[in-house]
Amino acid sequence: MSEDKKNLILSVKDLEVKFKVRDKVLTAIRRISMDFEEGKVVAIVGESGSGKSVFTKTFTGMLEINGTVTNGEIWFEGKDLAKIKNDKEWEQIRGKKIATVFQDPMTSLNPVKTIGDQISEVIIKHQGKSKAEAKKMAIEMMGRVGIREPEKRYNEYPFMYSGGMRQRIVIAIALACRPRILICDEPTTALDVTIQAQIIRLIKDLSQEYGFTTIYITHDLGVVANVADVVAVMYAGQIIEYGNVNEIFYDSRHPYTWGLLSSLPQLGEKGENLFAIRGTPPSLFEEIKGDAFAPRSNYALKIDYEQEPPFFKVSDTHFAKTWLMDPRAPKVEPPAAVRELHERMLALTSKGGIYGER
Amino acid sequence: MKRYVLTRILKSILSIFAVVSIVIVMIYTMIPSDKVFDNDAGAKKMKGDQLVTYKMRKLKELGYQDYASINEMCIATFGDNAKACSDGDEAARSQAVDKYASKGYAINTLKSGEPYAVHKYRWYELLGRFYSKLLVIDNVNAIKDEENPDLERKYYWGKNPYNGTPALLCSGCTYKYQLYFDGSFPFIHQNKFRLDFGTSFPTSQGVPTLQVINEGQGPNKKVEQNFETGLTEQSALIQTSCQYKFKTDHLDEKRFNDHYASCLSYHESPSMVQTSYTLGLIALVIAYAMGIPLGILMAQNKDKLVDKVGIAYINLLIAVPSLAFIFFMRSIGTLFGLPDKFPQLGFNDIRSYIMPVLILALLQTPSLMMWLRRYMIDQSNADYVKFARAKGLSQGEIFRSHILKNAIIPIVNGIPASIILCISGALITESAFAVPGMGKMLPDAIKTTNNNMVITLVFIFTTLSILSVLIGDILMTVVDPRISLTEKGGK
Amino acid sequence: MTELNKDLFELQIADDSQSEHIASPQYSYWRSVFRKFFSSKLAIFMMVLSLLVILLSIFQPMFSGYNPNVTPNINRPEMKYIRPNSTYWFGTDDVGNSLFDAVWKGTGTSLFISFMATFITTTLGVIIGMWWGFSKRVDAVMIEVYNIVSNIPATLIAMILAYALGAGPWQLIFALSVTSWVSTAYFIRVQVMIIRDREYNLASRCLGTPTWKIITHNILPYLISVIMTSISRDVPSFISYEVFLSYIGVGLGQQHASLGRMIQQYSPYMTSTPYLFWIPVAISALISVSLYIVGQTLADASDPRTHMV
Repeated sequence: MSEDKKNLILSVKDLEVKFKVRDKVLTAIRRISMDFEEGKVVAIVGESGSGKSVFTKTFTGMLEINGTVTNGEIWFEGKDLAKIKNDKEWEQIRGKKIATVFQDPMTSLNPVKTIGDQISEVIIKHQGKSKAEAKKMAIEMMGRVGIREPEKRYNEYPFMYSGGMRQRIVIAIALACRPRILICDEPTTALDVTIQAQIIRLIKDLSQEYGFTTIYITHDLGVVANVADVVAVMYAGQIIEYGNVNEIFYDSRHPYTWGLLSSLPQLGEKGENLFAIRGTPPSLFEEIKGDAFAPRSNYALKIDYEQEPPFFKVSDTHFAKTWLMDPRAPKVEPPAAVRELHERMLALTSKGGIYGER
Repeated sequence: MKRYVLTRILKSILSIFAVVSIVIVMIYTMIPSDKVFDNDAGAKKMKGDQLVTYKMRKLKELGYQDYASINEMCIATFGDNAKACSDGDEAARSQAVDKYASKGYAINTLKSGEPYAVHKYRWYELLGRFYSKLLVIDNVNAIKDEENPDLERKYYWGKNPYNGTPALLCSGCTYKYQLYFDGSFPFIHQNKFRLDFGTSFPTSQGVPTLQVINEGQGPNKKVEQNFETGLTEQSALIQTSCQYKFKTDHLDEKRFNDHYASCLSYHESPSMVQTSYTLGLIALVIAYAMGIPLGILMAQNKDKLVDKVGIAYINLLIAVPSLAFIFFMRSIGTLFGLPDKFPQLGFNDIRSYIMPVLILALLQTPSLMMWLRRYMIDQSNADYVKFARAKGLSQGEIFRSHILKNAIIPIVNGIPASIILCISGALITESAFAVPGMGKMLPDAIKTTNNNMVITLVFIFTTLSILSVLIGDILMTVVDPRISLTEKGGK
Repeated sequence: MTELNKDLFELQIADDSQSEHIASPQYSYWRSVFRKFFSSKLAIFMMVLSLLVILLSIFQPMFSGYNPNVTPNINRPEMKYIRPNSTYWFGTDDVGNSLFDAVWKGTGTSLFISFMATFITTTLGVIIGMWWGFSKRVDAVMIEVYNIVSNIPATLIAMILAYALGAGPWQLIFALSVTSWVSTAYFIRVQVMIIRDREYNLASRCLGTPTWKIITHNILPYLISVIMTSISRDVPSFISYEVFLSYIGVGLGQQHASLGRMIQQYSPYMTSTPYLFWIPVAISALISVSLYIVGQTLADASDPRTHMV
């Protein structure tokens, strides 16, 4: 899948991450390879436990202490991030080159430090500015993320802010040093629905202005449809389908992607049962044979229990990891909901829901 | 804020009263009153009726009971016509005795056949008597001296004889210097309001308990000073402490123009409070200077060797009975030629202080280290730390500028308590080293059944700890922006 | 890829039982507690040591029949102050009794007092603390009681009570536990309040689970490690208290043997016959340390959060 692409900013090869849990070993990321293009918005989707967060944490060396990268490379600015062992080197990446926005803005900020301090701190650290300069830049950044009267609010504490305001501050901190990549780990799940759209809009605008690459981690396909250029679908520690947003939404090939799309509640029709993928994800403590999704798939082939499928190319930008793409496989039709997705989506956006902006 | 602090203070006063009241009732009702004389040298010399009368008088003085001998009964009953009664008139006597019996007094008889009346105070009477005389307000009519009818009754401005600053003086009050200033803490001194906890017994007999605690120890120390008569001499008297003296002698007249000649003296050694405070404060500073960096070091190196050694040290010090630890340290001290008893070298030798201070400091470090480490580790799992790491801050920066700021808050809350409670001294350490400080006083007072002293100390310790908790909470609002005392104490 | 049989490309849809298969490692709470506890060699050693001490302090006095008031050798100077040897393992004391007998009798008394006080403190503390944490009305009253009691140095109360009640093991137990349960209860209250409002308990209550069942099924198990922590701190601290109170002379009377009494009695002998003083001191330190470490390890092991790794 790594054809020669222009402007690769981050390139992951054969990445494997393992965790030690109660004397047992869990393989959270099972040999992922993926390239990130500069300036694109990439969404990584998948259910809880599929390894989305773990995957992106390896870019900033933020794995929990019991987790390690056991194989693979992560190339960024000519350096293999997977080889970095000491924190000193990571400090040059984190916040400066690759920044992260976490899920819960209520707890992401230090409760006893002023908002201003927490922003200017990064500027001082990474750009070596003086206190006064950093303050000026921080105030400018606060204004940029939509805080009114930033000079006045510079010396306030996080507890005086609402959730949405705090997430704006978190974004201001993340972008204070103009990073090249912004990882947004479910940035809106903890927020009110009305605020969600505002925050997504803000990140989108800023990414256009500053030109950074955005990596969204989410299980909200609505957000994906709204903001992403490229979508990667993860299941059981692997990427199983990868393509442009239109390709994933309207021409998906993997039964798991079909399952995900069918279960979008917004697309449910009155009177129909909402679709749900049956079963539970596989245990990552055991060796997974064949296609990890096979036991839950309504389109499983015998070979899915025997051998792991390779990536099949759908188009230059679209790949799927399923035996259904093999020429020998029987022709199967995706479920009705997925086939009609386009119409349903159109209906939804024309109704002007919260995702209607695109 | 105002309302909150006000209710807090009110509640604090209430708890002080509750505790002191319970202690008073317990001490006066549960401990056999005869135990008071176990350590009284005076009582040991007496026998028979003399001993009984002595004990009755003493118990009255100590506030256990009211007591009246037959003579007193006669005087109380017949006033000026008590002569017949006192001389032994049967009818008059029985009239007097009956009067007391009807008031609820128990009438007992001495071996000599003389009756006497005793009324043991009930718990509410004990409390009433204690609190009614607790606060003494000095005033111009306080002194009633029949031999000095011309005593002026007035307040007037004068000077502090030691530094020349203005002072409010009084004639007719118990104390001459009502208000004055000097360079020693708390700089403004007053004698207008005093707390009266009674007198010490059987040790330091007759001396007010507060004076026992506050007055210097050891031999008197003479300093050159000027008296108001113009006399300049080497004297140990503290002029600002002078009280009215009913019978002045020629020495007093040489020094003073008035009757205020009953003064406290300067002493060679500091008072018990001061001793404990000096030891305690030095130890406290050492404990914090050691405990905080060590706690941070342990948290930063969690599960590494430093942390494990630290935990072993903490566990050892928590688990080993402090008495065992103190004696162990003391014997180590003797190996280095340090005294095992404070009075051996006394106040003026630095070697007397080394071991007590060191032990006091070491005893405080484990909990300080343990809690700081615990708070810091708890905080280090917080999301904001994860985010700070994602910002690219180093481990050290995160610990110093993020985690410590949060973890130190509960520690700051405890600092006023540590400082104020230095006064109360360290019970065990001071006992083990026989340091003449406050800590040793309570066990000593208990051993000698010095009840007034026990009550005084309970009152002081309770007040101090409640005060320190209050100050600690107020200090919290300074370090933690989230807490404001306006909302019901904050959450 | 070419050698793959064409038959393999046939639909074979798994049934639900297969798709529901969960295979995370087997977990049993008590097994994890034991595994965790017995993985610490120090804890095992300390447990054996404390069991040995407890058994000795129970059974040794039965055989020796030691009584501090019976002094058959009081008039035989040759029996006094015999240094530790093969006959008298800990030597003999100032009245010619075997210190070995005296020490175990005293250890028994000290352990009894400390265990009883811990038991009372913990039982009262846990029951009242749970109630306190659950009921807002109780909270309003108890918080005032706590504010009064917690503000006063505990040592002060224990001393005054021991002084007022007189000497004796039960009086001492009372003096020790009368205020200490409040802080245990407060500790439990805070924990209960934290857990009480967790989502799973709110959910449980919404489903109509009675309060007592929430307490016993949802909250008590969570509290086991918290209670263990408090016990492991209480036992040595009560031993320390007994020693201290007896040392300053308000603990037990002459007729009782206890470690504190012995330390107090023999402290003047520290230089002349040091073993008389140091053996009880060493034993008291030994018991406290071993019990504390056993308790702490057990508390750690019973915290489900440590079972993760």
